[in-house]
Amino acid sequence: MPGPLVFPAHVALHLLVALLLPPLVPGLIAKVKARMAGRTGPPVLQLYHDLAKLARKEAVFSRTTTWVFLAGPVATVAAGLVASLLVPFGHTPAPVAFEGDAVLFAYLFGLARFLTILSALDTGSSFEGMGAAREAAFSALAEPALFLGFAALAKATASLSLTPMLLSQGLAAGRLTGPLILVLAAWAIVYLAENSRIPVDDPNTHLELTMIHEVMVLDHSGRPLALVLYGASLKLVVLGALLIDPLLPATGRGWLDWLVFLGGLGLLAVAVGLVESATARFRMTKVPQFLVAGVLASAFAFLLLLV
Amino acid sequence: MSTLDVILILAAAGCWVGSALVALGARDDRPGLLLGLAGAILASVGALHALLGGPPSRLDVAFWGVPARLEVDALSAAFLLPLQVVAALGTLYGREYWPLAAAKGSGRALRFFFGTLAAAMTLLFLARQGLLFLVAWEAMAISAFFLVNTEHGKPEVRRAGWVYLVCTHTGTLLLTAMVILLARRLGGLLWVPVPPGPPAALDGWILLLAVAGFGFKAGLFPLHFWLPPAHAAAPSHVSAILSGVMLKTGIYGLLRVSGLLPSVPRGVGGALLALGALTAVYGVGNALAQRDYKRLLAYSSVENLGIVAMGVGLGWTGRATGDPWLAALGFGGAIFHVWNHALFKSLLFLGSGSVLHATGTRDMEQLGGLGRRMPRTALLLAPALLAVAALPPLGAFLSEWFLYRGLFASLHRGYPWSAGLALVALAFTGGLAAVAFARFYGILFLGQPRSPAGAHAHDPGAAMLVPMALLAFLCLAAGLAAPLLPPLLDRAAAPAGLSLPGILATGLARDLRLLLGLELLLLGLGASALAWLRRRPASEQAPPTWDCGYAGGTARMQYTGSSFAEPWAALLPGLRTRMRRLKALFPRPQAFRSEFQDAVGGGLVDPWIGRLAARALRLRRLQPGYLSIYILYVLLTLLAVFLWPLLRERLLG
Repeated sequence: MPGPLVFPAHVALHLLVALLLPPLVPGLIAKVKARMAGRTGPPVLQLYHDLAKLARKEAVFSRTTTWVFLAGPVATVAAGLVASLLVPFGHTPAPVAFEGDAVLFAYLFGLARFLTILSALDTGSSFEGMGAAREAAFSALAEPALFLGFAALAKATASLSLTPMLLSQGLAAGRLTGPLILVLAAWAIVYLAENSRIPVDDPNTHLELTMIHEVMVLDHSGRPLALVLYGASLKLVVLGALLIDPLLPATGRGWLDWLVFLGGLGLLAVAVGLVESATARFRMTKVPQFLVAGVLASAFAFLLLLV
Repeated sequence: MSTLDVILILAAAGCWVGSALVALGARDDRPGLLLGLAGAILASVGALHALLGGPPSRLDVAFWGVPARLEVDALSAAFLLPLQVVAALGTLYGREYWPLAAAKGSGRALRFFFGTLAAAMTLLFLARQGLLFLVAWEAMAISAFFLVNTEHGKPEVRRAGWVYLVCTHTGTLLLTAMVILLARRLGGLLWVPVPPGPPAALDGWILLLAVAGFGFKAGLFPLHFWLPPAHAAAPSHVSAILSGVMLKTGIYGLLRVSGLLPSVPRGVGGALLALGALTAVYGVGNALAQRDYKRLLAYSSVENLGIVAMGVGLGWTGRATGDPWLAALGFGGAIFHVWNHALFKSLLFLGSGSVLHATGTRDMEQLGGLGRRMPRTALLLAPALLAVAALPPLGAFLSEWFLYRGLFASLHRGYPWSAGLALVALAFTGGLAAVAFARFYGILFLGQPRSPAGAHAHDPGAAMLVPMALLAFLCLAAGLAAPLLPPLLDRAAAPAGLSLPGILATGLARDLRLLLGLELLLLGLGASALAWLRRRPASEQAPPTWDCGYAGGTARMQYTGSSFAEPWAALLPGLRTRMRRLKALFPRPQAFRSEFQDAVGGGLVDPWIGRLAARALRLRRLQPGYLSIYILYVLLTLLAVFLWPLLRERLLG
């Protein structure tokens, strides 16, 4: 069990990556999608410019809204940043690790989602209500997939802390390969659903009726919108680390581990871009089946470890 | 062995009886309120002393020559404390919510039975003798029956009351059998723990009867069906004490009775764990289908009692496998969740009472936009809302975190299958609770009013707001003072069996400190993000909500609670939705209907009872209304009585 604070330099680097890197990832995904479609696409750093511009703009609030409207964006960023402290970036242990932090990690995202749903309902818009109901329903299905994955890894590594769970040596070898592949497949589904990517949700669609997450933030503007966009990119990085950590090779050298992690994150962004280019969004009624497939995959991984 | 704590708490029960009696004659509320508050303070002092490490305090008495014992230990204290808090705040709240001069004397009756309910429960947690326990149990059940029936003019209230009465007495019947078996096992009616020794065959039966009898009270599936109508029908501060405290007497009974036995048979713990998991998922699934927001809260109580039962089951698993860490996490998590649920569910019921008071309707589809019209109520409910969805940084997250820790620990030892099942159920329950309560708060408080009922609502007065504010503060405190609680939980869990002193306090200290640090960081980050948002002034204009270019939006176009629940209709056995398929190019106007009926109560029990009653009607032929036939019955009975002694020897040999 590592101490609460290890290697100050790495902690500083961890915080810097968590704070500054995230807006790069959506830019990368957009670039890959544009290239696949034969377009030039926006610059990779576009989101940084957008955030800077939004931070200067004044926000417009609907006359229906109350203080709850701000709770969503604020909680998204605050919970995302706290969660980023719990997950190891590559083979460097997370800044904070304790037994049971995986539960806190999952529930922090639950908090962000809950308040985002409430701030969508706060506008009184029928479209936003629709998006809120969908987001609530789909995330309730994603939760068991995430936890069964935790259960499988906890059973395999005898720990309920993200750092040992994700970074145990030999996780990708021998008897555990099969369960690990299943868990990662399930988490990939959770990743796409939680980050509102195709095939679950289309972040770039123009028809409000078919949106899930995007429609919930229709009424946000100015700085609150900046927080929403930044929070979404933060989620891409933090949940992405969960997905790629067990796959990264351990080099044994600190700086090289960081490079490997950043490379892995880049590859993940490219992979998401490729998935988005190659598939269409599911019909809304098919989405629960997709998520239940994730639950079943991680349940099967768990069963494999029990017998 | 001091007797001071017991005497303090007995005096408190006396105060509650006094407040009940005063209500019958007094002109105003003040004497009853003062007596109730005095009782609450006396009992809280005694309970806190026991919980903070005071020795168990007992008093031996005798009723008609039968020895009885009253005792306060940390387990009793852990249940007495929420009882006194909720009862005192409920009394205060009731002053404005249900005035003494309410129609047909219902104000007096309500205060009388509220006092007797509080007194009976106080006595229940002290009783350490089978008969005394049953008497207190019955007094509690009957008081609750009259409280549920406060508005007995309404047929649905009467029906809810009768169903409750039948169920609670069925439960009492099972408990009487349990008390008899327990008396055999313990060698007397006094409840003194059996010294460690080999398990007896009776233990399994005692526990089975306890789970069934106490399960009726705690609302464990499938014995929960009486609960939602009864808690919805009662006045809101009564619902608060029924949901917040009275259901927990079932959990207390399970912990107390199992603590008397030297061991718990293998398998019982796993079975209770699975039953709790089923109850939790079933309860929260049905909660999200309700249109009546008080029924929604009642179903959420079923869910939370399921979670508590999971904790008890986990603790029993720990006892069966001889694993003190598992037992401590299970029992400790269960008791911690009992505290949290007592606080946040009482707050939610009091808040829903304010809404009912202001709008006069329990149908959430009539409401909306109350956050702007009742800003204080909306703000005070926020902590309870996060707590009921088990989100950090509230206490309910921590009590579920205890259970997660226990379940993950039991993956490695004990029962991996039931732990895996319970783990998924707990995660799924969390997700569904978020759906149900986003719907609850979103439909009631956010958006725009859906009908005139909610358009002119306003916040209640101080007598109703102050209890809510205190509960909101306690809700927050339970989350942020968490590192102080494990020593108390250690002591409270000790009488439930197999514990090492200070096991949670030492085992969880570091993790809880880190967790709390992160939660404070979360709050700090949230506050600074909010400050950053506030630094840039918002636009002067306040336009309507963006409705995607359609410029004629009305409040009726908002998403409704029924549409929120509709995606789940396929999974919920009790929810039926009806919509015709669209036909032709220009379809006719469409209607969507959804109806809810509890799958157990309305779906199974009602028809069965109906058939039974129809059969029983045939017995009425025995009562034709002629005096001569009744005299014949009397003669035949007498003859049988005389003949029996003569024939017995022949027949039985």
